[in-house]
Amino acid sequence: MEGFFSVFTIELVNSGIRLATPLILAALGGALCNKSGVLNLALESKMLMGAFVGIVAAYYLGNSYLGLLVAILAGGLLGALFAFLYHKYEVDLVILAIAFNLIILELTVYMMRIMFGNVGSWSDPSIVRIPDIEIPLIKDIPVIGGILSGYNIIVYFSWFMTIAMYIVLYKMKFGRHIRAVGENKEAAETVGINATLIQTMALTISGMLAALGGAFLSIGHLKLFTRNMSNGRGWTAIAAALFGANHPIGTFLASLFFGITEAFSVRIQNVTDLPPNLIELLPNFATLIVLISIALREKVRETNARRHFRARLKAEEQQKAA
Amino acid sequence: MAHALEMKGITKYFSSTDVQANSNVDLTVEAGEVLALVGENGAGKTTLMNILYGLIKADAGEVFIDGEKIQINHPDDAIKNGIGMVHQHFKLVPSFTVAQNIILGMEPNKAGFLSPKQENAAILELSQKFNLPVDPKAQIRDLPVGMQQRVEILKVLERKAKILILDEPTAVLTPQEVKELMAVVRDLAKRGYSVIFITHKLIEVMEVADRVSVMRAGKMVGTKKVTETNIPDLARMMVGREVLLRVKKDTIQRGKPVFEAKDISVSDVNGLAAISHVSFDVHEGEIVGIAGVSGNGQTELVEVISGMRPLDGGKIFLNGKDITHADVRERRDAGMAHIPEDRMKVGLNLQTNLDENLIISRYNQSEFSKFGFLLGKSINKFAETVVKSFSIAAAKPGEDISMLSGGNLQKVVVGRELSGDPSLIIANQPTRGLDVGSIEFVHKTLIEERDKKAAILLVSVELDEIMSLSDRILVLYRGEIQGELDAKTATEEEIGILMAGGKLEQASKGKE
Ligand SMILES: Nc1ncnc2c1ncn2[C@@H]1O[C@H](COP(=O)(O)OP(=O)(O)OP(=O)(O)O)[C@@H](O)[C@H]1O
Ligand SMILES: [Mg+2]
Repeated sequence: MEGFFSVFTIELVNSGIRLATPLILAALGGALCNKSGVLNLALESKMLMGAFVGIVAAYYLGNSYLGLLVAILAGGLLGALFAFLYHKYEVDLVILAIAFNLIILELTVYMMRIMFGNVGSWSDPSIVRIPDIEIPLIKDIPVIGGILSGYNIIVYFSWFMTIAMYIVLYKMKFGRHIRAVGENKEAAETVGINATLIQTMALTISGMLAALGGAFLSIGHLKLFTRNMSNGRGWTAIAAALFGANHPIGTFLASLFFGITEAFSVRIQNVTDLPPNLIELLPNFATLIVLISIALREKVRETNARRHFRARLKAEEQQKAA
Repeated sequence: MAHALEMKGITKYFSSTDVQANSNVDLTVEAGEVLALVGENGAGKTTLMNILYGLIKADAGEVFIDGEKIQINHPDDAIKNGIGMVHQHFKLVPSFTVAQNIILGMEPNKAGFLSPKQENAAILELSQKFNLPVDPKAQIRDLPVGMQQRVEILKVLERKAKILILDEPTAVLTPQEVKELMAVVRDLAKRGYSVIFITHKLIEVMEVADRVSVMRAGKMVGTKKVTETNIPDLARMMVGREVLLRVKKDTIQRGKPVFEAKDISVSDVNGLAAISHVSFDVHEGEIVGIAGVSGNGQTELVEVISGMRPLDGGKIFLNGKDITHADVRERRDAGMAHIPEDRMKVGLNLQTNLDENLIISRYNQSEFSKFGFLLGKSINKFAETVVKSFSIAAAKPGEDISMLSGGNLQKVVVGRELSGDPSLIIANQPTRGLDVGSIEFVHKTLIEERDKKAAILLVSVELDEIMSLSDRILVLYRGEIQGELDAKTATEEEIGILMAGGKLEQASKGKE
C-alpha cells in the first residue's frame, strides 16, 4: 500500500496539469460553442490540425512560438470554414463534424508523408520545445510554488483564458449576447443581434483554442508529431464541457479532473501489477462514468422524487386503515 | 390630421403554399386608439403584421407613419419608426432576468462591461413610468405567462415604440391575467399610444377596442366602430355566414359509466402531488367538463388517463376493464381517443403528409398494413373519407400539412381521433387559438359524438366552452376536485369561486 500512495505527489499534479492543458483549451472552445447554441463535435479535427500545423510551422520558421501562432490561425480558419458551411449551406452540424474529423485525420497523415516521407511519426532535432517558465516569487512558496510554477506559456494561457472567458460571458455585453443567442436565437435576432456573426465568432475562437491545445501536444509537451496525435482528446474535451455545465470554471475543473486521472493512470503502472492496458483505460472509464452520470442526473432525481411520493401515499393509506 | 399609421394596398403571395395571404389590404390606426384585428385562422392577420414589422417583405403596398411614407425591410427599420411587436410566442431568454431581457441588444456599457445596477434601475424606472410593476431581478423562467408578457410589452416600450402590435396576446393568459392586460392596453391608449390587438375572442374586442378591422381570406372586409357593431355581426363578417356562437345541445339520458378514476394520485417531477386522491367517472352520452385555472393538474390528469405518464396511486377503468397499467396502444384499442392540448408538437407530425397523420394511431391494423408494409391505396381512401366527413377543405390526401392554419390542423386531429367510434374521448383545450368558425365545428362535432353515446372528458380553461358543452362540471384546484356542479344550473360565479379555491355554501347545489 505504501507504494500505491507514493504516486500522490506534486509531480502527479504537475503532470496532471500538463495533460489537462490541451483539454482545457479545447473544452473552453466547446463550451463557448455550446453557449452560443452550436454543437461543435469537430474539436478533435481542430486539435489534430493544430498539432500538425504547429510543429511544421515551428520547423520551417525556426521558432516554436511562431509555430503556435500559425497553429492558432489555422484552427481559426478551420472554425470559420465550419461556420460558413453551417450557415451558408445549412449542413447538419453532426455530419459536418464527422466530415471534418475524418478529413483532417487523413489529411495530416498525407501531408506528413509528402512533406517528410515518413510513416508513423515525424520530428526534427532543430525543433525546440516551448520552454517552461518559472514565475518569480510564486515559485518560492512551498508546495503551492511547486504546483503553480514551472510550466510553459500555453499552460498559463489556458488559465488566463478560463478567467477571461468567464469575464466575457458573464460581465460583458458581447458575452451576454452570446448566451442570448445560445438560449433563444429568435429572441436575440428580433432585438437586432446578429446571431450568425456571433455563432461564427464562437466557432472561430473555439477552432483557435482547440488548435492551440493540439499544438501543445506536438511542440509544448513533446516535440514530435504522430498519426492521430490528438487521440480522442477532442472528444474528452466535449465531455469536459458537458461535465462543467459549459461554465468556464466548471469546464476548467472538469478538464483538470480528466488530466489528473490520466496522469494517475500513467503513474500507477509503475507501482501495481495490474495489466498496463487495463490501467490505460482508466481515463476512458472516468469519462464514461461522468457522461452517464450527467445523462442520468435528472432522471435519477425524478425517479427518486416519484419513489418518495409513492411511499408517502402508501403510508397515508396504512394510517387510514389503522 | 394624418393617421398614426396607414397601410395601403398591402399584397403578399406565398408561392410555397400557393396562398394569397394579403390582397390589397388597407388599414389605419390613430394615435391613442386600440384597433382590434380579427379574422378566421389563415385570414392573413399575422402576415399583415409581420410585413409591418419587417419580418416579411410585401409584394406591393405602402406604409405611412404620421403621413410620411416609410420603407421597412427589417425589424430594425420598424423599431426605428416606433413600431413594436409582441409575438404570440414570446421571444425571451429564460435564464436571463427581467431587466436583462428588456434591455437585450441595447445594454448600457463601459468598454463592453455591463452594469447590472444601472440596468435594474433603468428598468425599474420604466416600469414605474408605465405603471407596469415588474421585479427587474427575477428570472424569466420563474415567472407566470402573464408576467412574461408584461416583460415583452416593456421591451417594446423601452425601444420607444408608439405603435404596439399584440398578436393574440390573450390566447395563453388566465382570465385574471386577461383582465390585467386589458387595463394595460387601455392605459397605453390613454397615453397616446396606438395598439393593434389581434384576437379570436370577440368579447375581448368589444371590451378593449375602439375600432375593429375584419379580414377574410386575405382581404380586408370592413372596419367598424365597436359602438356600432356587435358580436354576432362581427362573427358573420369574419366567416361570411351565420355562426352559432353557442352550439345547441339537447338533453339526453346518460348511460352506463365508461370511464372511472378511483382515488388517483400523480407526482410531479419534484415528488409533490400534481393530482391528489381524485375520483370521478364519465358516462355514455355525457360530457364532463374539467374547469380550472391552467396549471392545477389538468396536464397531468390528461397524461395519466391517456397513458403518457404512469399513475402513482389509485386505479383507472375503461369500459369496466382496469387500464391502470395499460400502454397507450392498449388504451386506444379499448376505445380511447385523445385530442391533445398541443396539436403542433403532440397531436400531429408536421414533417409528414396528411395520410400518415391520419393513420398514425391505426397504421398496424390489417386494413392499412400487411406484413409490415403500408397499403398506400387503402390509406389514401381512408384519408379521403376523413377529409370528406370532417370537411377539412384545405387539406388534400397525400399532401403536406405543415402550412395549414390552426383551425385546419385541429380538424385533422379531430378527424383522426373521432373516426373509428371511440367510446371515450379526451378533449384537452380542443379550441385553443381557433377562430369562431372552427370553434363552432369542433363543438358541433363533440356534441354529435356525445349524442352517438360517446363519453367525453373535456378539459378547458375557457369557462365559456366548459359551460356551453358540459353536462357535468368538475373544478380542479391544486390537483384536487374542488367541487362538482350540474352544468344546467351552474353559474359563472360559482365556477369562478371554485376555480379560485373557494367553497360553495352548503345550501347551493352540487353534490360534494
Ligand atoms: N411563411 C409562410 N410561407 C407560406 N405560407 C404562409 C406563410 N405564413 C403564412 N402562410 C399562409 O398564409 C395564410 C395566412 O396566414 P396568417 O398566419 O397570416 O393567418 P392568421 O390570420 O394570422 O391566422 P391565425 O388566426 O391562425 O393566426 C395561411 O394560409 C398560411 O398558411
Ligand atoms: Mg396569426
